[in-house]
Amino acid sequence: MLICFTLTASAKGFGQKKLNLQFQKTEIASILTTIEKATNYRFLYDNSLKGVRLKINLNVKDADLKQVLDEMLANTGLSYQFMENNLVVIKETNPGEQAQSVVTGKVTGDGGVPLQGVSVQVKGTNKGATTGEQGTYSLNVNDADVLVFSYVGYDSQEVPAAGKTEINVTLVLSKQELAQVVVIGYGTQKKRDLTGSIAVVSGDDVAKMPSTNPVASLQGRVAGLTIVNSGQAGAAPTVRIRGVNSTNNSDPLYVVDGIQQTNIDYLNQADIETIEVLKDPSSIAIYGLQGGNGVIIITTKRAKKGQSTTSFQSNVGVQQVNNKIKVVDAAGFKKLYSEQLANISAAPFDYSNYNGNTNWQDEIFRSAIINNNSISFSNSTDKSTTYLNLGYSNQQGVEKFDHYQRYVGRLNEDIRVTNNIRVGADVTGSFWKQNPPVGGIENEALWAAPIVPVQAGPGLYYAMPSFQRAQVANPLAAIDGSNGNTLNSGYRVTASVFAEIKFLKSFTWKSTFYTDLSTNSSRGYTPLPFHYINLGEGGTSTDTSYNNLAHTSVSQEEYIYKTYQQDHTLTFDKNFGSSHLTVLAGFSTLYHYSEFVNGNRTDTSLNIPNNSTLWYLNVVQQSNPGTYGGGAAEDASISWLGRVNYSFKNRYLLNVSFRRDGTSKFSPSHQWGNFGSVGAGWVMTDEDFMRDISWLNFLKLKASWGTVGNGLSIGNYLSYPALTPANVGIFGDHIYPSVAAAYIADPNLHWEKVEGKDAGVEARFLNNRLSLDVDFYDRKTHDILTNITLPNQTIPYFTNLGTIDNKGVEVTAGWSDKIGRDFKYSISGNVSVNKNNVESIGNGINFQIFPNGVNMTQTGYSIGYFYGYVQTGIYQNTAQIDKSPHLASAAPGDIIFKDVNGDGKIDQNDRTNLGSPFPKLNFGGNINLSYKNFDLTVDVQGVTGNKVYVARRTATFATLNYESNRLNAWTGAGTTNIEPILDNTRSNNFLFSSYWLEPGDYFRLRTIQLGYTFNTGTTLRNSGIKAFRLYLNAQNIGTFSHTTGYSPEVPISSPTAGGIDNGIYPVPAIYSFGLNLTF
Amino acid sequence: MFGFAALLLTTAFLPGCKKDFLDRKPLGQYTADNYPYPSGGGPYDQFVNAAYASLRTGDGGNTAVSGFNFMGAVSIRSDDGDKGSTPTDAPDQVAMDQFPVTPTNGLINDLWNGYYSSVNKCNTVLYQVGHDSTGTAQDVKTLATAEAKFIRAYDYFMLVRLWGRVPLIDTVISSISQTNTKQSDAGTVYAFIESDLQFAAAHLPLTWSSKYPGRSTSGSANALLAKVYLTEKKWGQAFSAAGMVISSGAYSLDPDYGHQFTETGENGVESIFEIQAYADASHQEDANYGCQYANVQGVRGVDWNNLGWGFNVPSGALTAAYETGDPRKDATYLYCPSLVPTKYGEIFPTEPNPAYNQKVYTNPTYRSMVGDQFGWWMNVRILRYADVLLMYAEAANESGNAAEALDKLEMVRARARAGNTATLPKVTTTNQDDLRTAIQHERRIELALEQDRFFDIVRWGIAATAEHLAGKPNYTTGRDEVLPIPQQQLDLSKGVLTQNPGY
Repeated sequence: MLICFTLTASAKGFGQKKLNLQFQKTEIASILTTIEKATNYRFLYDNSLKGVRLKINLNVKDADLKQVLDEMLANTGLSYQFMENNLVVIKETNPGEQAQSVVTGKVTGDGGVPLQGVSVQVKGTNKGATTGEQGTYSLNVNDADVLVFSYVGYDSQEVPAAGKTEINVTLVLSKQELAQVVVIGYGTQKKRDLTGSIAVVSGDDVAKMPSTNPVASLQGRVAGLTIVNSGQAGAAPTVRIRGVNSTNNSDPLYVVDGIQQTNIDYLNQADIETIEVLKDPSSIAIYGLQGGNGVIIITTKRAKKGQSTTSFQSNVGVQQVNNKIKVVDAAGFKKLYSEQLANISAAPFDYSNYNGNTNWQDEIFRSAIINNNSISFSNSTDKSTTYLNLGYSNQQGVEKFDHYQRYVGRLNEDIRVTNNIRVGADVTGSFWKQNPPVGGIENEALWAAPIVPVQAGPGLYYAMPSFQRAQVANPLAAIDGSNGNTLNSGYRVTASVFAEIKFLKSFTWKSTFYTDLSTNSSRGYTPLPFHYINLGEGGTSTDTSYNNLAHTSVSQEEYIYKTYQQDHTLTFDKNFGSSHLTVLAGFSTLYHYSEFVNGNRTDTSLNIPNNSTLWYLNVVQQSNPGTYGGGAAEDASISWLGRVNYSFKNRYLLNVSFRRDGTSKFSPSHQWGNFGSVGAGWVMTDEDFMRDISWLNFLKLKASWGTVGNGLSIGNYLSYPALTPANVGIFGDHIYPSVAAAYIADPNLHWEKVEGKDAGVEARFLNNRLSLDVDFYDRKTHDILTNITLPNQTIPYFTNLGTIDNKGVEVTAGWSDKIGRDFKYSISGNVSVNKNNVESIGNGINFQIFPNGVNMTQTGYSIGYFYGYVQTGIYQNTAQIDKSPHLASAAPGDIIFKDVNGDGKIDQNDRTNLGSPFPKLNFGGNINLSYKNFDLTVDVQGVTGNKVYVARRTATFATLNYESNRLNAWTGAGTTNIEPILDNTRSNNFLFSSYWLEPGDYFRLRTIQLGYTFNTGTTLRNSGIKAFRLYLNAQNIGTFSHTTGYSPEVPISSPTAGGIDNGIYPVPAIYSFGLNLTF
Repeated sequence: MFGFAALLLTTAFLPGCKKDFLDRKPLGQYTADNYPYPSGGGPYDQFVNAAYASLRTGDGGNTAVSGFNFMGAVSIRSDDGDKGSTPTDAPDQVAMDQFPVTPTNGLINDLWNGYYSSVNKCNTVLYQVGHDSTGTAQDVKTLATAEAKFIRAYDYFMLVRLWGRVPLIDTVISSISQTNTKQSDAGTVYAFIESDLQFAAAHLPLTWSSKYPGRSTSGSANALLAKVYLTEKKWGQAFSAAGMVISSGAYSLDPDYGHQFTETGENGVESIFEIQAYADASHQEDANYGCQYANVQGVRGVDWNNLGWGFNVPSGALTAAYETGDPRKDATYLYCPSLVPTKYGEIFPTEPNPAYNQKVYTNPTYRSMVGDQFGWWMNVRILRYADVLLMYAEAANESGNAAEALDKLEMVRARARAGNTATLPKVTTTNQDDLRTAIQHERRIELALEQDRFFDIVRWGIAATAEHLAGKPNYTTGRDEVLPIPQQQLDLSKGVLTQNPGY
C-alpha cells in the first residue's frame, strides 16, 4: 500500500536525475511504473517474473536511478541492465534457480530490544544474513526453506519461510549457558549433555585483560584450576588442574584447534573464541597418554556465518611493583652488621668510606609498559569463510631492560566444496623477540649492602664492601652490563589442513594434518667489564679497579622444533526415536623432533664492539678459544580412539570412550597402553515428576570413571642406557675424552596411569538466575614417574614409583538478574578444595624422597610437604636452656625447637609436618554490574592452606643485607620470642624450621574494570562503526597476605620441591586502558 | 566421494603403519650398546678417564672433592688452617674451623656425594671389565682394573678418615633395592682399601709414557698404601710400602721447596700423585677441566690481586711452629701486605687477612694466558716424595729403626734449608719419643696447609691438645675426629645409616 509518495526529477540527463522515493509494502512492478511516469526511463520485463510481484519497502532520498535500482532489487533475485534510449531491462539474476522471494524482518530480544548481530540462516546451507543495528535483516529464500535464528546466549528458533515476506522473531534467553556447544576431544557436545567436568571460559574475558599469555588471565576463574603467574615479560604461568598428580611433570596438555601442544606462548590472547578446561578422566580419556594432568582446549576465532566484520582491540597499561620487600636502610644495616660482628667477637667493620644509602630494589625496578593490539577481519559467503587476525604485543618487564615483543598473524579458510564436502586450512605465524631479564637479580638487589652508593658515572660503579664483594655484584652494574647483550627470538608456524566428508546422511569422515614448526635463536655478547670504585676499609684507601684479563666474546644458539600430527575420525550421528547416538572412531599419530646447535668464541686479541650486527661467531678469528655443542631428540606416538555418546529421551546420558596409545618414549615391551572411561548423566528436570517444580529449571546428576596416561614431557630414551661425555681425563696438559652413564636406566619404565572418579550436580534455579555446579572427584595416579636420588648415587634415576591421590570438591555458583530496565548484575564465585595424599611411594623403595632437606614426599602425607622443626620461641637465658630439652650447642638467642616426640631431647626425630606448599583451597569471585552504557567488573581471587619457604633469607654464603624483620633480632633476655640472635654461625637457627615458613594464604583484588559502550547512534553509524567500548582496568592492585616476598605466588612447578621463595620475579600491579572497536 | 575417502585413508595410515614408527633410539648420543671404544687405548679408557676426572669434579659439577669442601674438611679443621675470608663469610666453614660441624652443614653432604660419585665411576670401570666379551687382552683389563681400584681406594681412604663408618659399595647398582647399604665399620673399610691398593701396586706400571704425566703408578699405590698402614698403625707394612716407593728410584726431592707448588713444578720429580687440572681461555673456571682448589684459597683482594676467596689461611699456631729461619715459611705464606716483592715480582697491599696460602699462588703469566685470575689450572698435590720420606721415617721410628728414620728426616730438612746451615739443624736424637716429636713437627711444617695435618693429629692422638692450643676450644675428643654423617644422607637412608657418636 502506498502511504506516501513524493517524486522530484530534474531532466538534466542520466545520472543527474535525483529521485526521492518512499514506499511501504509496495509491489516492485508498481514502483517501476511510478518511476516511468516521473522520468524518461522505460522498463522492460516479463510480467510473470515472481520478483516484480514482491512487495518491498523503499526509502531513498536524492538518489540517482542506479542507486534506486540497486536498493530496490537487492535480495529480489532480479537484476537490471541499462540499454540505449533510456531503456532498462529487468530480468532474473539466475534464471536456472528456483524462484525465490525476499524475507525481511526484525529480531528482538527480551522486552522488545532489537538484537544486532543475530545470525539468520537457511537451514542446511551456508546462506544467511546477520541483523543490523535495528535488528533488521533481509534474505533471499525459497518457500521450502526454514530459517534458523541464533544468537549467543539465546535459544535458537526455526521458522519455515513458507512464502512469507516478513518474519519477525523474538528470541528467548536460553537456559543459561547450557545450550552452549562445548568442544570436547575430537568433537563437540552440548554442555547440557556432558557427563564429565568441563569448564568453559569465553575468549572475550581473556582478551580484555592486560597479559600476553591467555592462560594467565584464567587465574581465579575456574574451580579446580591453580595458576601461578610470573611477572616476567612474556612468561608463561604454572598451571595445575585439580592438584598435583605426579612427582614428575604436572603441566596440562594444550590442544589448540586440534594441535597438541605443551606451550601456547605464540597465541594472540585477543584471538581466542573459548578456552575449555577438561578436568575429569572421562573427558580426558580420549587424549590417552597425553592427558594425565588435564587438558586445556583452546579454540581460536573463525568467521561467523553471514558476517563480514572488522574488529580492533587494544589495551595499554603501566606495570608497577607495589610490594617491595622491606629491607633495612644504611643505618639499619650498620647497626645490625655491627651487632652481628660483636656477637661473634669479630673486629668492628670500618664504615668510614661507606656513606651511601641505597635501596637497590629501586635501582633495578621500573614502571613498565604493556601493550596488546589485535585486529581481525572476517568474511563469510555461502561457499567459504575467511578469517584473518593480526596481533602485536609489547611488554616491558618491571625489571629494567626486560622486554618482550610478539607479532602474530593467523589466517583460516573454510571452503564448502559441495554440500557434503568441506575443506579448510589454518595457518598461524608468530615471531617473538626478547631482551631477557638478568637471572637472580631479584636476590642480588635484596642482598647488596645499602651502604654502597650506586654509580659515579657512566661505566663506573661502586663495588660492594670486602664482606660481600666476592659473592654479590653491584645490582645495577649487573643489569646495565647485560642490557641488550642477549638477543632472543623465535619463529613459530602452526598449520593444519582438513577435509570433511559427510556421507550416508549420518556419517562424517574428517582427516586433519597438522604441523607445528618453530625455531628459536639466541645471540649473546659479553662486553668489557665496567670500572669499579672500591671504597676500601680498615685504612685501605679508595681505588678504582678494572679486570684487565676480561675479553669480549660472542655466542650463538639455534633451536629447531618440529611436530607433525594427523587425526582421522569417523563419526556416526543419528536419532533413533527418542535415542540419540554418536559414535566416533579415530586414528592419530604424533611426532616430535628437536635439535640445537650452540657455540661461543672469545676474542683474545681484539675487542668486539658493542654493536649487535657484529655478534656472530665468525666475527672472531677461528684460532680464538670457544666451545660448541649440539644435539637432537625425537619421539613418536600412535593412537587409536573411540567414543560412544548415547542419550535417551534427552535425559539419560551415557558416554564411553577408549584410547590405545603407543609411544616411543618407553622400551618396546612397555610401549602400548589402553585407556578408557565411562560417564553417565541424568537430567532429572526432564522427568515428568519434576516438571511442575517451577523454581527448579534444570537439574542434572552425573558420574564418571576413567583412566588416562601421563607420558607428557618425560625424557625420550630413558629406558636406554645412554652415555654422556663426562668430565675429561687430564694428564698434564693432555686432555682425554671420557664417558659415563647419563642416568641409571630403568628398562621397565612405563607411564603413569591416572584413574579418576567424578560425580557432580548441575542445577539452575529461579528462572535460571541462580546456578550451582558441584563436582566431587577422586583421582589416583599409579606408577608415578619420579626422578629420584638414590643413596650414594649421584646420577639421576627415573622410575615408576607408587600412588598419589587427589580428592576434592569444586563448587561454582552464580546469580544474575536485573533491576529495572537499565541495571543488570551478576555475581559468581568458585571454590575448590583439594586434598593430596601420597598413598605409596612404591614397594621397592627403602629410602626417602627428600631431595632438598626441606620438601618431603612420604606415604600418608601430602606430596612435597615441608618437613622440619617447630619453633616455640627464643631462648632468653641459659637457665631456660638447662631446664628444657635442647640441642647440644643451644645458646641464648637461639630458636627453641619443640620436642615433638616428647622423648626429652631435641634431635632429628623432632622434625615434623609443617604444612604443604600447595593450597588446600583456591577461590575466585566475580561481580559484573552494568547500568545503561556503563559496565563494571570486579574479580577477586586467592588461596588458603599453603606455606611459603622464605629461602631467600637463608643464604649464608656471605654477609647479606637484612630484611627488616631482623631489626627485631634477639639482643638480650626479653627482647623477642621470634627473631633469633644476629649470628650466622649459630647453625641451629638455620635448621629448617617453622621460623622460615610463612602462611601462603592470600586474598587478591585481581581485577577492577570499568567500561563504557557507546550507543551506536548516528555519529558512529556514519563512520561505519558497529560497536565501540572503552575501558579502564586495574589488575593486582591489592593483595592481602602474610608473606613478605614480592608476591605470595611462589613457584610450585616442582612437585617435590615446591613453595620456595628464593628470588622471584615480582608480579606487578597493572593499570591499563583499552578499547574494542567493531566495524 | 568414497574414492576420496579411501585415498585419504591410505595416505593417512601409511606413516602410522610403518613398523619402526615407534622405534626411536637416542640421537647424537651413544648408548652402552653402540659406543665405538677407541681401538688401541683399550676399551675402558673412556670410563677410566671419567674415574680420574671424578677426583676433580663429581657428577653434576660437584667440585667438593677437590675444592671448597675438601679444603675445609682437611685443612681448616686442623690447627694449621684458619677459615680466612671475612668474619661473617661462610658460616659452614666457621663450623669446620671452630667445631662442632653439624649434620646439616652444607659442605659435608656434597663431599659425601662427591666421593661416592667417584666410587661409582670406578665401579663402572670394574663392571665394564667384568662384562667385556670383545676379546680384549687380559693385560689391558688388568691395567684398567688396577687404576680403578687405586682411585676407589683413595675415595674410601678419604671417606673412612672423614666419617669413620661408611657404606661399602663395590658394584654398579642394577636394582633399586640394592641402593640402601648399611655402614661398614672402619676396620672393614680399611681392609677393603688395602686389598684394592695391593692389587693396584702389583699391577700398575712404575711410569707411563710422556702422554700421561700424573697417571697413577705402582709408586702412587704404594705411597697411598703406606699412608693407609700408618693410619692403621701397621708400622712394618707402612715401612715396607714407603720403602718400595723410595727404592723404586723413580722420585727425588725438588731442590727448590717452593718450586714444586708452581705451575712449572706440576708432575715434577717429587710428585707421586696429583689431582690433575687444566684451564685455558675456553675453559677458564670450568669444572669439567679445572679445579676449584686454588680459587678458594687465593688472595681475597680486588683488581689484579683478586685471586680467590681467601680461605685456609695460616693460623697463629702454625706461625709459631716454624723454626727460626725455616725458608719453608716464606714459601708457604703469601703475606699481605707483601714485605718484599713475591717470586713473580708482585706486591700485595693490605688484605682482610695478613697471609694466604702461597702453595696455590698462581703465576701471573698463566693468569693472563688463561684470561682468568682464579687458578683453576692448578693441580692438587696429593702425594709427594717428601711425604713418603717422612712416612718412612715415622714407620721406621715406630719400628725402632732410628737410624733409617733420621736419615730420611734429614733428607727432607736438608732440602728445606737449601744449603743455609744457619737454620734447621740436623736432628740427631735416637730417643723414640723425641724423634717422634721431631718427625711430627717436620710433617707439620713440610706439609703445612696441604691436606694431611688434621688426619695426622687425629692418628697421633694429639688432636685435642693441638686444636685447643690453636684456639679451637670446642674440639671434643670422641666426636670431632670424624664428621657427622650428613643429615641428608641419614634422611635419604630412612634410618639405615646411623649417626656418628656425639652428634
